[in-house]
Amino acid sequence: MADIAHSPAALKRAEAEAAAKPRARGASQARRLAGGGLIDRQKPLSFTFDGKRMSGFAGDTLASALLASGVGLVARSFKYHRPRGVLTAGPEEPNALVELRTGARLEPNSKATTVELFDGLVAKSQNRWPSLRHDVGAVNGALSPLFVVGFYYKTFMWPPKAWEKLYEPAIRRAAGLGSASGVPDPDHYEKAWAHCDLLVVGSGPAGLSAALAAGRAGARVILCENDFMLGGRLLSDAFEIDGRSGAEWAQGAIDELAGMPNVRIMPRTTVFGGYDGGTYGAVERVGDHLPQPSEHQPRQRLWRIVAKRTVDASGAIERPLVFPGNDRPGVMMAGAVRTYLNRFAASPGRRVAVFTNNDDGWRTAQAVLAAGGEIAAVIDPRGVPEAFRMAAAGWRVIEGEVVGTKGTLDALTSVEVADARGGVVTVPCDVLAMSGGWNPAVGLSSFHRGRPVWKDEIAAFVPGKCPTGLTVAGAAKGDLSLGACLQEGFSAGAKAAVEAGLSGSPGEPAQAADEPVAVRALWEVKAPGKAGQKAGQKAFVDFQHDVTADDVRLAQREGFESVEHLKRYTTLGMATDQGKTSNVNGLAILAEAKGEKIPETGTTIYRPPQVPVAIAALAGPNRDEHFHATRLPPSHHWAAKRGAVFVDVGLWKRAQWYPLAHEKDWLESVNREVLAVRNGVGFCDVSTLGKIDVRGRDAGAFLDRVYINTFSSLAVGKARYGVMLREDGFVMDDGTTSRLAEDHYFVTTTTAKAGPVMQHLEFCRQALWPELDVQLASATDQWAQFSVAGLKTRDLLQNLVDPAEDLSNEGFPFMAAREVKLRGGMRARLFRISFSGELAFEIAVPARFGGSLAENLMQAGAAFGVTPYGTEALGTMRIEKGHAAGAELNGWTTAGDLGFGKMMSKKKDFIGRVMAGREELQRPDRPAVVGVKPLNPADRLRGGAHVLPRNAKLGPDTDQGFLTSVCFSPVLGRWIALALVARGRERHGEVVRIYDPLRNGDFEAELCNPVFYDPEGARQRG
Amino acid sequence: MAEFAWDAAPPLGGVFVAGRSGAAAGSPGVRLEERRGLSLVQVMAHRGKWPAVEAAAESLFKAKPPARPAALFADRATLVWSGPGQFLILGAGDGFADPLAPYAQAFREAASLSDQSDGRALIRVSGRHARDTLAKVSSLDLHPAVFPVGAAAATSVDHTNVGLWRAPDAADGAPVFDLLVFRSFAPSLWERLAASGAEYGVDSAAGDFSEAA
Amino acid sequence: MRINCPFCGEREIGEFSYLGDAAPRRPAYAAEGPELAPEAEEAFFDFVYLRDNPAGEMREHWYHGGGCRAWLVVTRNTLTHEIRTTEPAPGAGASERAA
Repeated sequence: MADIAHSPAALKRAEAEAAAKPRARGASQARRLAGGGLIDRQKPLSFTFDGKRMSGFAGDTLASALLASGVGLVARSFKYHRPRGVLTAGPEEPNALVELRTGARLEPNSKATTVELFDGLVAKSQNRWPSLRHDVGAVNGALSPLFVVGFYYKTFMWPPKAWEKLYEPAIRRAAGLGSASGVPDPDHYEKAWAHCDLLVVGSGPAGLSAALAAGRAGARVILCENDFMLGGRLLSDAFEIDGRSGAEWAQGAIDELAGMPNVRIMPRTTVFGGYDGGTYGAVERVGDHLPQPSEHQPRQRLWRIVAKRTVDASGAIERPLVFPGNDRPGVMMAGAVRTYLNRFAASPGRRVAVFTNNDDGWRTAQAVLAAGGEIAAVIDPRGVPEAFRMAAAGWRVIEGEVVGTKGTLDALTSVEVADARGGVVTVPCDVLAMSGGWNPAVGLSSFHRGRPVWKDEIAAFVPGKCPTGLTVAGAAKGDLSLGACLQEGFSAGAKAAVEAGLSGSPGEPAQAADEPVAVRALWEVKAPGKAGQKAGQKAFVDFQHDVTADDVRLAQREGFESVEHLKRYTTLGMATDQGKTSNVNGLAILAEAKGEKIPETGTTIYRPPQVPVAIAALAGPNRDEHFHATRLPPSHHWAAKRGAVFVDVGLWKRAQWYPLAHEKDWLESVNREVLAVRNGVGFCDVSTLGKIDVRGRDAGAFLDRVYINTFSSLAVGKARYGVMLREDGFVMDDGTTSRLAEDHYFVTTTTAKAGPVMQHLEFCRQALWPELDVQLASATDQWAQFSVAGLKTRDLLQNLVDPAEDLSNEGFPFMAAREVKLRGGMRARLFRISFSGELAFEIAVPARFGGSLAENLMQAGAAFGVTPYGTEALGTMRIEKGHAAGAELNGWTTAGDLGFGKMMSKKKDFIGRVMAGREELQRPDRPAVVGVKPLNPADRLRGGAHVLPRNAKLGPDTDQGFLTSVCFSPVLGRWIALALVARGRERHGEVVRIYDPLRNGDFEAELCNPVFYDPEGARQRG
Repeated sequence: MAEFAWDAAPPLGGVFVAGRSGAAAGSPGVRLEERRGLSLVQVMAHRGKWPAVEAAAESLFKAKPPARPAALFADRATLVWSGPGQFLILGAGDGFADPLAPYAQAFREAASLSDQSDGRALIRVSGRHARDTLAKVSSLDLHPAVFPVGAAAATSVDHTNVGLWRAPDAADGAPVFDLLVFRSFAPSLWERLAASGAEYGVDSAAGDFSEAA
Repeated sequence: MRINCPFCGEREIGEFSYLGDAAPRRPAYAAEGPELAPEAEEAFFDFVYLRDNPAGEMREHWYHGGGCRAWLVVTRNTLTHEIRTTEPAPGAGASERAA
């Protein structure tokens, strides 16, 4: 049998190395084989585990380096704090979880079996105190009769108050595996998209064959491999393909694929989920194998891969056997033992016993011998299979089952075996390699509610109905032998290429013999052994969550008979390994307890992600200040230069106020800005308001149907305020609309609703009234639009506009809108509208001139003390004027509530008209917008405070509304508010109670006309 | 009263420093260029008037406008599909002249026009790693076989509408993509592109639309 | 999920937003004066609130807001998410239809 780890060339090289520097690094790697392995002995790496300095080689995982260094005890289990070693050699590992790195990069629950070793790696065992060897928590194991399944539900029930104060904090301290760093992740993460004809998941014999066939045919192929090395089990097993060793063939295949421009090979990339339409999620660990990511590179990259076809070649996972004492360090998966010997040249122990119910386990015995180890015994309830009769000559073979284990804290010393004649013998050994058969990795193929189906022949579930476009090949399909893997992978790849429309030749499939893979199901060893009985050894099903076979039976007796209930009650399969080694054993034991067949019991539902994915990878670049895209209005740079304070309004950054050096707080700045406008002139960038060009022959008729009031009658050159309802009768948005030409309206929306209103108008145009000729274009970003307001507005603008323009009250009356020329040759739009209640215009120029507009307004208004103002002053002035805004247009107010009832046309259909007429929305005690001023001018109002009748008892039945918008009015010299209060309009003058328990507010105030300032509106028309 | 000066501020003015950023080794893998000085007119056909729009466009550009996602590089302008019955006319403009004026007459009966010259920023992404960079912001398949020169898409980047098309390849054969984005989003998008391209080395530049190929 | 926009081709779900059942039709009613037809309120109540919730195929309104801004009618199986057809809403692409 060819053996990749012990090929003659490798052996010779290793011998030469050993002769050259005897024991050079061997001192700390006592269990490293002298030769072989796919590690780079020229690149020694140093690392620490629990503070102890150790070494390994490039190509090692942390687990293989620990094993090579003779470390047996690696972790403590979750519930009982039992000593645990390395069980597997892959991502299914339940035991060997460590905290990796330190400081901000600390990462708990890292699987030592997948952590690629790097120089300077720092790893720490977790879930133990004070140390791995002396763990106080291990007392839980002694108390295990208390910690039965459902323990939390049963124990921490009474008294009810104790949960929050006592139980939960205590449990939270004790539970959880590793600890988080508690500081922000210093690395960055990316997201990216990829597209292909064929996605191949897994690079074992099936995956490589699929990629080769499709790649040769010309298909765009993406090959994802979870490991840092491609080849899958070809790296671990002594196979022969096309007359070469499996590893050599794999290298040849990889070289061929790497030479194809249409093939993208992605190592260190885990496909974690399959989604609708052939979209797959994958995480590429770009920098996880480095002490820290390379400069300009992310730590991890989240891929969304869109694939026309997918070949799932993710292989199979070996199943543990359930027997007393099966969790002791030194008990390992048989396939993992081969991986450590062959791929990593790391020996888990010298004397190896094998306990298997299938042919594959016997190959571990062969690998142990080939690596110079000793076979303590091969234990198989079936006796010697025919295929191994020759090879096993001279081996100690016991037809029986392991019924107990003995050992120290970190090593196995012997196992107890019950043989077929009823005797119990002790077999001294330092490793027990176990194999309960192989479970196809059905995760990916079972998404979209596919249910795996039972296959007796291999005693495992195989994929059932797969997601559209996905084919399973090789071991993942339950066809475990090498020849089948190569053939199926090839066929699936070739077929995918044809389906993608490619006609190139896929070449020839690789050939290999089909090795024996026979199995006889063995779910749980029940024969009693002396050691097992005496010590009351537990037989573990889920190693990570410490769920035993007895727990499964207890849960079943207590009525948790559905596999979904069993899972949640016992937490079987809910740990970070998601039950990859435990689920099938668990449900087989459940089926037996229920007296059912396994397929009747069934599996739980599979959902992505099938391996844990860091939240940081899902967030990608969207964190901190890049959480979402930012929009900057045209005057942003100008405002920043003036030292404006900015506020986030949706995605926009808007100037909130412009502080002067001497001002001690924001209120002082805002009061100055308000008074400057009221007494002189100021300007504010209002470009963030949504702007929509509505054009077409039916533009007027269209607007009549979406607004409560009429726009077809609006004269060209005029603006009108409008309110839009939703079809359910509530207010959607408001804004002014100007008619710039017969078939051209310029609609403005609130800043927040620009997008939703556009979507709504498109719906009306395309879905409701396709007969109308209307075209819509967003013009929000096209115009730098500033509000210029205050007594001196006309004086300022006169300096800026072309002398030929008439801005007088007659020449440019209130609510006029038209194009004007500005000095310096600029074209502009001017709208005489006012939000502040002062004489005001909005002026708009093309956005590229927004900075210049600000400069020029400053210049034109210098003589009048022109003052730029921000959103706070804007808000203060609109509250003083009683204008409803976002806080009042809150989605559950009607036009009537806001005082626009009379605007609702009765001569036409419009969106929301009928529903707005419903009786409930006409009730006289609906909330209405009202003004509020405290009786004591020193009292400070705050938004959200409740309004109750004077002297009312506190309670929800006396609550009559709340304050929606609050500001300090510098004109009135007091805090004022707008509120939505039941029957508010009829109650002007009434004294009410303002109650704000969160901020200690409880005082009296008077309800009043919401227009606090210039209620006649003389100023804005002046 | 003195005359007032009107200085056109490009959407990405002050957002980046021209020159090299990101990985410093080797030649830059991606080039980001702001193309300034746009005239951009959105043409929206009236109901049932697409044939008339085609005729008008042919009279102006000697070419039919794209009726499906595509970019057309005519003599005097680039025409880019922007939605059903809609396309954009891209040319050079200083912001002073009314961009609608040259087209208003031809489209008078056929389409509504909307001036977008200041509403968008144009970012050109090119270089041998242009596709790798764009793969980090765009969900589109930009493989040369799927997205050849002249292909265009109305799509989203970072939840923001973006017009994206492929211009003729650069002299060295590297692909060239143009991204048209709302002006207010442009600084944000530029930062994402620069960060996405950093590992390949980024060369940033500003160029005038009228001077570009 | 991916939706094949009749104008743009296949795009990822993030470019689209969902509205819901495309079956209800906005009632037409006479609205010349203050008095509404007595059946109008009930008809609108149905239109606004009442929805079937089929387990299986459903015609739905989707908006390609992150793309060409067309409203679409998508026939989707609510059990499997499989999309059978995507068609433009009646007014999407109206420039190419007779006026």
